[in-house]
Amino acid sequence: MKLVRLTGLLMALLLVNATSAIAQDVVIRNATVLTVTGGTLENTDVLITGGIISEIGKGLRTPRGTEEVDATGKFVMPGIIDAHSHIALSSVNEGSSPVTAEVSMEDVVNPYQIGIYRASAGGVTTSHLMHGSANVIGGQNETVKHRWGSSDPNDLRFEGAPRTIKFALGENPTRVHGRRGTGGTGAIVPATRMGVEQVLRNAFEHGKRYMEAWDAYDAELASNPRAVPPVWNERMEVMADIIRGEVLVHCHSYRADEIVMLTRVLKDYGVDKITFQHANEAFKVAPELAAYGAHASVFSDWWSYKFEVYYSTAYNTAILIRNGVITSINSDSGELNRHLYHEAAKTQRYGNLEDDEALATITINPAIQLGIQDRVGSIEIGKDGDIAIFEGHPLSVYAVPEMTFVDGVKVFDRAADPDDVRLEVDPEGAIGQYEGQITSRDHFHDQNEVIDFLEAFGDLEDVITETTHN
Amino acid sequence: MSEATAIRGARIVQAPGRVIESGTIVIRNGVIESVGRRVDIPYDARIIDGDSLTVYAGFIDALTNVGVPESDDDNPTGSVPDRSNPTFERAGIAPQKDVRMHLDASDKSVASHRQRGFTAALAAPRGRMLPGQTSLVLLTGDKASDMVLPGTRPVLFEFEGAQGVYPGTPMGMMAQFRQLYREADRRMGVQAMYDANPSGLSRPPYDEVHAAFFSVIEGDTPIISFTSDALELRRALSLSDELGFNLMAAGLNQGFDVMDELMSRGIPTIVTLDIPDRPDWAAKADQDSLDQVLASYNDDTRTATFRDIEAEKRNLEAKQLVARTEFLTMPARFAEAGIPFAFTTYGLSVNVMRRNMMEYIANGLSEDDALSALTVDAAAILGLSNVMGSLDAGKMANLVVTDGNYFDKDSKVTIVFVDGNQHLTGDCSGSGCSDKFSWGN
Repeated sequence: MKLVRLTGLLMALLLVNATSAIAQDVVIRNATVLTVTGGTLENTDVLITGGIISEIGKGLRTPRGTEEVDATGKFVMPGIIDAHSHIALSSVNEGSSPVTAEVSMEDVVNPYQIGIYRASAGGVTTSHLMHGSANVIGGQNETVKHRWGSSDPNDLRFEGAPRTIKFALGENPTRVHGRRGTGGTGAIVPATRMGVEQVLRNAFEHGKRYMEAWDAYDAELASNPRAVPPVWNERMEVMADIIRGEVLVHCHSYRADEIVMLTRVLKDYGVDKITFQHANEAFKVAPELAAYGAHASVFSDWWSYKFEVYYSTAYNTAILIRNGVITSINSDSGELNRHLYHEAAKTQRYGNLEDDEALATITINPAIQLGIQDRVGSIEIGKDGDIAIFEGHPLSVYAVPEMTFVDGVKVFDRAADPDDVRLEVDPEGAIGQYEGQITSRDHFHDQNEVIDFLEAFGDLEDVITETTHN
Repeated sequence: MSEATAIRGARIVQAPGRVIESGTIVIRNGVIESVGRRVDIPYDARIIDGDSLTVYAGFIDALTNVGVPESDDDNPTGSVPDRSNPTFERAGIAPQKDVRMHLDASDKSVASHRQRGFTAALAAPRGRMLPGQTSLVLLTGDKASDMVLPGTRPVLFEFEGAQGVYPGTPMGMMAQFRQLYREADRRMGVQAMYDANPSGLSRPPYDEVHAAFFSVIEGDTPIISFTSDALELRRALSLSDELGFNLMAAGLNQGFDVMDELMSRGIPTIVTLDIPDRPDWAAKADQDSLDQVLASYNDDTRTATFRDIEAEKRNLEAKQLVARTEFLTMPARFAEAGIPFAFTTYGLSVNVMRRNMMEYIANGLSEDDALSALTVDAAAILGLSNVMGSLDAGKMANLVVTDGNYFDKDSKVTIVFVDGNQHLTGDCSGSGCSDKFSWGN
């Protein structure tokens, strides 16, 4: 029967597809190694065994079976870390409530999404997958490694990475919640920046009381077996964990006043781990941020895409770093993440950062902000075998990413880069139209999911006009 | 004693692989009285000449809205004071909703299902994230209560977000599910303490939504998830792992990527009869040209689009054929891996049931395994093995009678017995046999 014969052929193809990369020991030979934290090493080998960098040196002897990569004349740097990304997610904004601390991107990681491979093709090995900016307190984020090829979201998880959570100040939450009167619901707090602060304070205060109520219950239980536990609240569980210091805050922000406002709120609740995302006016309050120990994760040279971000400067990064603020440069985009090395290089044009300082903005600095600096962000013995190999210095405009390794597994090789690497193919749609295509909407970043959500309300026009991105 | 019916001289498929080429089956009072090669036909039996007929055990649809008319309440929309805090009803959270209160024996879906050979089903209420409690039903009877069977009543869970209110996204639904479950767990503990000795305790809070989770937490009631892609299925599995409830997994589109996880858990598996449409370009192509497309497939193609858009397109088409085949071969791969499964028509028009099943068979599923999914395995998964799933004396008289091998394209279901009630008379030679049914269409 014809179909059955066909099936045999197809099954053979399926098996080919199912083959995925297997960790193998690999040595990268004779490269210019940009360690970021330990200077630049010429004509140097890097050996990765069992997924970990085990030796760095010249003329390394390697175990039998080690894969050899000749990197003569090439540059080797730590895998790039994108501290702000929305790739590989099934949903981005639970935009129905100003506080949704209980939701987690961990639940919606999409390992099939082609954006993972594209990011790898730009030398990115780790992404911080964030909730969107619709809510004042959005969901918990997920730090992932670009282990392309698995269909199991758990395989991508950066095991041991600290929990982080998205906050958002300013126009996005006030527009989504405070100025909407359609879709069968009235406007709710916050409609203003004052309201944003009040939403934060309410959430923290409820979280604190919740924590105290459970502590009191636990204490009472010791003497009274009939103690009644407080009402369970997933949202307040997370607020309590933030207060306990178990969740790092990453806050979407633009203006200097709101940035300072958040440090004051956090101080009142003893929260000291904060990274301001976007933070286009952070340079105005750089000393204050440094004093608080706050970090910043910014765009290289992008602003004026809406009113609250009308004012900024491409010197933002350099000013922050010179003031002692640990600063990273992020993409917030499934397109821009492919050339973060260019974005980092702009800090040399605008601010004259040293090579290692510029590279740090896309390696060790985001690693620190995500609490994974012991594992990634530099080329050091004992760190993960997350490596990017470039033709040309990565800070040069002529830089071309050639190979990318995650845990010693080659996830991108420019010399072996077929047209179609999709893991998931729409079995019935029209050819050439599939999820993951780069379209004009990709340049709207985390707006997409807000749009999807708001379509249900019928005031989409309003939202698109006023933009909800970044 | 009521009249018996005997189908005489028929091909009787008692169960997959257990066939009597010419035998007799006798039913009485809704029960199979005897079945075998040589059976004494009772003097009072009405006799159906089975000369050209094949008899199978009645089919079972392991998740469906059959018998549940659509209602405006299924998809709650409209104004709420605060969309961040809607009522449970507005958010589509109704685990307490009992499908037995919503059955309508006269709903035309009942006859329509039955005409395809379905005799029993797990009927689900309509709704969104948590539509309610399902029930085993027989596809016969004059009123809803005639239909209802005792047995398992899993609570249905789907990733259907609330419209315009919390929770709207998969991550919101995951969080809301955990919230409901853990608070229900707490309330159960408080209630138990109160029941043992209320002295000095405030009255525990009660609402029917949380209360509906109590038997889930106790392990008496499973959650049945309906998922439509691999990631949804993984989410349901992780909720089950995390919270510890019993899960039945239905739908399972793209479940081929989650086979290991399904196998290691050994959870009840219910496969959708929904299949991807043939893409437009392939629908127009003949088999030879599809073969050509496939033969030219190269997973290492590197074509400059601007130079040879046709070559790139052909390769994309080939890859799409491969992808579609992954869906179509899934039941065959489940069977080969030893994962027993039932079928579901949930969310589908029952009209496509046979056509799509034949696609599964064309893609490697054996007829016996398909029949198992419709009968014996479905009965096992739903806890009905003692009354259904095979043609054995003592079991309920649920029979499907066809005029040839059920899996032959031209065969027709001629009679269906449900609980001994005969539907679709085979004697349609005259006029007025409007329910004569051919499934070829």
